[in-house]
Amino acid sequence: MSAPFAELVAATNFSFLRGASHPSDMALTALLLGHSGIGVADRNSVAGVVRAYAALKELREKLRDPPAGDDAALLAQLGAKRIDSFKLVVGARLVFADETPDIVAHPQNRDGWGRLTRLLTTGNLRAKKGECRLYVDDLAQAARDLLLIVMPSRNLTRLPSTLARLNDLAQGDVWLGATMPRRGDDRRRLARLKDIAAPTQTPLLATNDALYADPGQRDLQDVMTCIREGVTLTRAGRRLEVNAERHVKTPEEMTRLFADAPEAIEETQCFLARVDFSLDQLTYEYPDEPVPPGRNPQEWLEELTYRHAAMRYPDGVPKKVEKLLREELALIKTLDYARYFLTIHDIVRIAEDKGILCQGRGSAANSAVCYVLGVTCVDPAENDLLFARFISQERKEPPDIDVDFEHERREEIIQHIYEKYGRARAGLVATVISYRPRSAIREVGKVFGLTEDVTAALAGVQWGSWGSDIPQAYIRQTGLDPENPVIRRAIHFAQRLLGFPRHLSQHVGGFVLARGRLDELTPIANAAMPERTFIEWDKDDIDALGLMKVDVLALGMLTCIRKCFDYLRAHEGMDMGLADVPADDKATYDMLCRGDSIGVFQVESRAQMNMLPRLKPREFYDLVIQVAIVRPGPIQGNMVHPYLRRRSGSEPVIYPSPAPEHGPPDELRKVLEKTKGVPLFQEQAMKLAMVAAKFSDVEANRLRRAMATFRNLGTIHQFEALMVERMAARGYDRGFAQSCFEQIKGFGSYGFPESHAASFAKLVYISSWIKCHHPAIFACALLNSQPMGFYAPAQIVRDAREHGVDVRPVDVNFSEWDNRLERAADGILALRLGFRQADGVHESEGKRIGQARTKPYDSVEDLARRAALNAATMRALADADAFRSLRSDRRDALWAVRRLPDAKPLPLFAAADARELAKEQDPLLPPMSLGEHVAADYQTLRLSLKAHPMAVLRPIFARERIKACAEVSALTDGAFARGAGVVLVRQRPGQGNAIFVTLEDETGVLNIVIWARLFERYRRETMASRLMLVEGRVQKSPENVVHLMAQRIIDRSGDLNRLSEGHRPEIVLSRADEFIHPQHPRGGHPRNVRILPKSRDFH
Amino acid sequence: MTLADARARAPRLAVAQADPDADERLMLRLAAFCEQFTPLVALDPPCGLMLDATGCAHLFGGEAMMRTCILQAMARLSFTGRAAVAGTPEAARALARFGADGVTPPGEDEIFTRPLSIAALEAPRETSVALTRAGLTTLGDLADRSSAALTARFGAETMRRLTRILGREDARITPLRPLPECMVERRFAEPFLDLSAIENVLRPLIAEAMGLLEKRGQGGRAFEARFFRTDGAVAALNFETGAPSRNVEALLRLFRLKAESLADPLDPGFGFDVIRFCVLCAETLAQGQIGFERQGAQESDVADLVDRLAARFGRERVLRFAAHETHDPVRAASYVYAASPSSKLNSWERPEPGEPPLRPLFLFDPPHPIETMAQTPDGPPMHFKWRRVRHMIARAEGPERIAPEWWRNAIGRDRRTRDYYRLEDRDGRRFWVFREGLYESETAAPRWFLHGLFA
Repeated sequence: MSAPFAELVAATNFSFLRGASHPSDMALTALLLGHSGIGVADRNSVAGVVRAYAALKELREKLRDPPAGDDAALLAQLGAKRIDSFKLVVGARLVFADETPDIVAHPQNRDGWGRLTRLLTTGNLRAKKGECRLYVDDLAQAARDLLLIVMPSRNLTRLPSTLARLNDLAQGDVWLGATMPRRGDDRRRLARLKDIAAPTQTPLLATNDALYADPGQRDLQDVMTCIREGVTLTRAGRRLEVNAERHVKTPEEMTRLFADAPEAIEETQCFLARVDFSLDQLTYEYPDEPVPPGRNPQEWLEELTYRHAAMRYPDGVPKKVEKLLREELALIKTLDYARYFLTIHDIVRIAEDKGILCQGRGSAANSAVCYVLGVTCVDPAENDLLFARFISQERKEPPDIDVDFEHERREEIIQHIYEKYGRARAGLVATVISYRPRSAIREVGKVFGLTEDVTAALAGVQWGSWGSDIPQAYIRQTGLDPENPVIRRAIHFAQRLLGFPRHLSQHVGGFVLARGRLDELTPIANAAMPERTFIEWDKDDIDALGLMKVDVLALGMLTCIRKCFDYLRAHEGMDMGLADVPADDKATYDMLCRGDSIGVFQVESRAQMNMLPRLKPREFYDLVIQVAIVRPGPIQGNMVHPYLRRRSGSEPVIYPSPAPEHGPPDELRKVLEKTKGVPLFQEQAMKLAMVAAKFSDVEANRLRRAMATFRNLGTIHQFEALMVERMAARGYDRGFAQSCFEQIKGFGSYGFPESHAASFAKLVYISSWIKCHHPAIFACALLNSQPMGFYAPAQIVRDAREHGVDVRPVDVNFSEWDNRLERAADGILALRLGFRQADGVHESEGKRIGQARTKPYDSVEDLARRAALNAATMRALADADAFRSLRSDRRDALWAVRRLPDAKPLPLFAAADARELAKEQDPLLPPMSLGEHVAADYQTLRLSLKAHPMAVLRPIFARERIKACAEVSALTDGAFARGAGVVLVRQRPGQGNAIFVTLEDETGVLNIVIWARLFERYRRETMASRLMLVEGRVQKSPENVVHLMAQRIIDRSGDLNRLSEGHRPEIVLSRADEFIHPQHPRGGHPRNVRILPKSRDFH
Repeated sequence: MTLADARARAPRLAVAQADPDADERLMLRLAAFCEQFTPLVALDPPCGLMLDATGCAHLFGGEAMMRTCILQAMARLSFTGRAAVAGTPEAARALARFGADGVTPPGEDEIFTRPLSIAALEAPRETSVALTRAGLTTLGDLADRSSAALTARFGAETMRRLTRILGREDARITPLRPLPECMVERRFAEPFLDLSAIENVLRPLIAEAMGLLEKRGQGGRAFEARFFRTDGAVAALNFETGAPSRNVEALLRLFRLKAESLADPLDPGFGFDVIRFCVLCAETLAQGQIGFERQGAQESDVADLVDRLAARFGRERVLRFAAHETHDPVRAASYVYAASPSSKLNSWERPEPGEPPLRPLFLFDPPHPIETMAQTPDGPPMHFKWRRVRHMIARAEGPERIAPEWWRNAIGRDRRTRDYYRLEDRDGRRFWVFREGLYESETAAPRWFLHGLFA
């Protein structure tokens, strides 16, 4: 038995591109090798420590509730005692911007931790994002309660002075780190370190300065070094580590290596004993700003709740709601979350004061308290809420409320929060940006000297699931040889790099607020955006430590609805809020049943639009289902069609049941009744695991966490066998069990809990209602909130016109910067396009046109002078054909405008210059044809009110017997048709078996389906066409949903040139097009992902 | 179109990085080649050449024949070209790129260029869009309109291009190389192949050129012989004299010296079409004649020595050591051409001040196997036997553990880690030995080698 030892200088992969092991691997390896503890220290950061902490915590949990399988053997091998006594020391390796050697600082107690995080904050805020500039003087300010290990550099000349200085600062808290790195002079160096340490009596501390857990990681560490240094392996030379020694070594090995200085080994135990800090001690306190002085938060919350409840329910609070409120408040009291609710309420109230629309989403919508406080919009009186989904005593996790704000004004809220709580107490949560297949192969490829085009081709390959090999066929498809050793190696290392953190970034809107100084809890760093700061921990870390988070998110639709309400007030005299929209409006549901939902929140995508006529929503809960059903979870779990069949009554509603000896036959009825026996919501899938597969609370909790982090770690597969086997054992059909699990997997990436779907359904209904009853207002608000949603302005305008809205062109004498509404002679609102729709008109210039229009402009020169417009704007306006009210069409206006001088005249000469342009003789320009106008409209406005390009080309197509979209839609099922139109959207959802293309012409839209096999043949045509001709068979569903099943595709984009010589109209694809705007499943909040089925980008 | 976009359409697309520098080098080579047609050649980026045919066309039998001749020469080099002959460079460019290429009769530029699309103006996109929007599609449409009205709207630069394309205003090209003082050449009906007879060709050429200089009372200082190969390559040999000269034999001797010192000797390939001799710089010839070669300057510099050795023995035969960026002692030093610039070389690793060097200067290649007795797992040898002599070790230091450069191995084939020790035997001799393979983790029976000797 060797002397006890602990590695106290262990870097993790949060020492970006230096450490080559996950924090959990470092900690668990040390534990396995028999260390008595580990000291995790990353470069100027504590970003990785929580993960090591969480890994050990989970291990201890497992000890109490041992799972089956491999883990059990491991636990037995380790033994409870060793796991319990293993000590995790967390700190940071301070790397200084001056010449000082690195110093590892481990806090001795809670105060030390606060000093350390403040020290790092100082360094972070001094530097730009991702950097930390520290000087040894900073440490001098903060050295108390920190245990310091000096890590000498190769050159020892400055070491004595550093040691002397540190010992002056913190006598007794300084160690000198000694390593035996096998550099040839280890023993001589150790002796020298002893000599240097002797005068200050600094104890030597044995360490291996570990960069990775296992020597096998050396090659990966070499690759990471190359990425960091931006060199190829062959040129990296001495920048690489000389050998594979910097791993976590066994105590026996360390004892042998330090035979000359056994005291350095013993010293690790003295050091460990000095540390009296663990992340458990980071108790967290909610801010008490919102509580009036002298009030108890719980009482204040109760008072507010009942006061608001009375306002919400003017006719008296329903019994059901009252009961809910009582129960919730009791639980809030037990868990002491009153401050949290008050803080959220405070933020929402501020938004209200500023007139910013907001709505809570996610599980918060399960709370009646949240509803009456105005945080969420799902009325508990009408819906069954599960408060336990939001907060539960068992889960011991802090509540997490996500609130959406208008996207154009969210920054005001964020800045307000900073202002109110101060930057020392409020910070955005970090997002750990990890290596993904594309980024990994790109960077690794460079290291192996692959050229950009090869790595780009590899990055484009569809990568298999985590850890599995890329099928060789895929690589061959790109024209590369999968047997090529360099390519094989690059792929091998890229796969090992997957999931490694790459850098920290700010979360989209997750805030952490604290009562005390936040920078004594965690370091704060500058974000890339000005005026933003964020903490080093991400939301999982926050969860693990039990800190409170508020998500301040942005939602475009709220901006749009706010604008609708403004216009309703201004033009129709209606004063409305989110809660005032009349419920159960038949006309609105009729419209949705027709699939008429362009611009409507959530259900405007092609898949949703096809679902609407099938699902036929007639009440609010139908919308909740509609929102949730067209998601990868239900689709991957094959739940959609069974649900539709059961809904239409063509299939009986049955509940799968276990074998009689295992439980009541209707055990699933309670779980699945609402959705006709088909699990559609996230919590149903969870409940299923608990009821049907008898998952314990702990197991269910693990499953839930695995679902949440599925994309990061891919741990969910561990549960597959468990769930399917247990369900099968209890007599369930194996197929049903498997599809339930498939669904859980789908939910992992993009699932909707019911409450979240309900919050979204609310916005679906409100936007539908506005669209149905006030189409002009809706279109106007939608255009003024761009960019948002699926559709380009051309489609929004077209849809508005189809709904009878008079859309009027941009004109210098009528338009403003924004699109606006005009009262037509017949009293109906018309939509006047604004200058924002015209390319090349700058906002400030555009606004000046409206401001200076005290009387109508009477000439081109008059406009240029009075609105002080520059030549570029004048040209853009002429290009947009905005001079019609001056009796000039586009061509004449351009001719006139281009004559104006480029630069603004000096003010003194402005008046004199005004009329100086001599009369010219008529240029006799040829008249502009309709086709040319349409093409030019598309070039400058991306839409044309004059005609659809296809209308101009119609004679050509008609001669070829090509049918218009509406004609094709009118054909019978199975008929052969040739249809053509401009391409709006191309999507390849789900498994990628089919490609969906939407074509448009002057008569309507036509949906094309291209099977994957056909696509490979017509890939070029599919990808390149702006104007596509498709031949195929019509397929018509009973609900009259029409698809043209393509058999042949012809690229007719060339015909667009026939509109005019020289102008090529630019048809803007919808923002949902996956090929021009690839929708990566990563990034953002998973629930935020707009696109329905998981998209595949196969560039 | 982006690359991703193109790949989406054609996944198997082969991609090559654009290399504008290489393109330009190619165009420069072609320009040099074209100097056989006229000395006034200019690049016309991105992919054009502009030849001033004034006064040269008759050598080929007229402009049309000259054009054919050039196109045929290009075709032999596997280039497809479009060539137009016109009154102004701009007109020729516009016709070659946007019109019917061919020969425009003198004075008729405007007739030929009027039907061209306004794209031929190669105006900025904004301007050409505006012209189209105005309904003006051909150069003729523009030509008929008041130039004041057009200038006010589309700028003076556009109008200047227009007038030049229409041939209303003349312009010159700036040739790549200034015209030589004097130039004589010999064209061969059959490609000239016989290098040994090259001086027989050059001697009369030089004599002819000297005759021309003599008439002007000048002597040449800088000379150039150009060899136009049938395959488009052009070799040029330049040499200078310290003072103006008209001595044919001396110049020939300089030529010979120069030709012998060439790194890649003059290669006729499939033969030379044209050999040309130019006097690039001429001065009034001074009285009397001084030796051509400069008298011995001080050459203390190694660089000079290297140059001279390289000139005599060939660049590739003069070498020096260079540090190689690696931990691997075998690969740490390599030979490089002594003439290569030292700025590109790595610095040698130096021990910290006061520390002894860890590695010897002298290495055995390959290392010598030795028999040792050492402690496991990683103790230094206590004694070892090398060349049948047993060395008892008095002192040892190490190991310096050097892991193999794994990326050099084929996957699956492992090389072993080496532990290096510095040893001193009882007689004070110092050795550098290593054990190949980590004990147990890499091999059960590691082998030992002597790799070097310390001085």
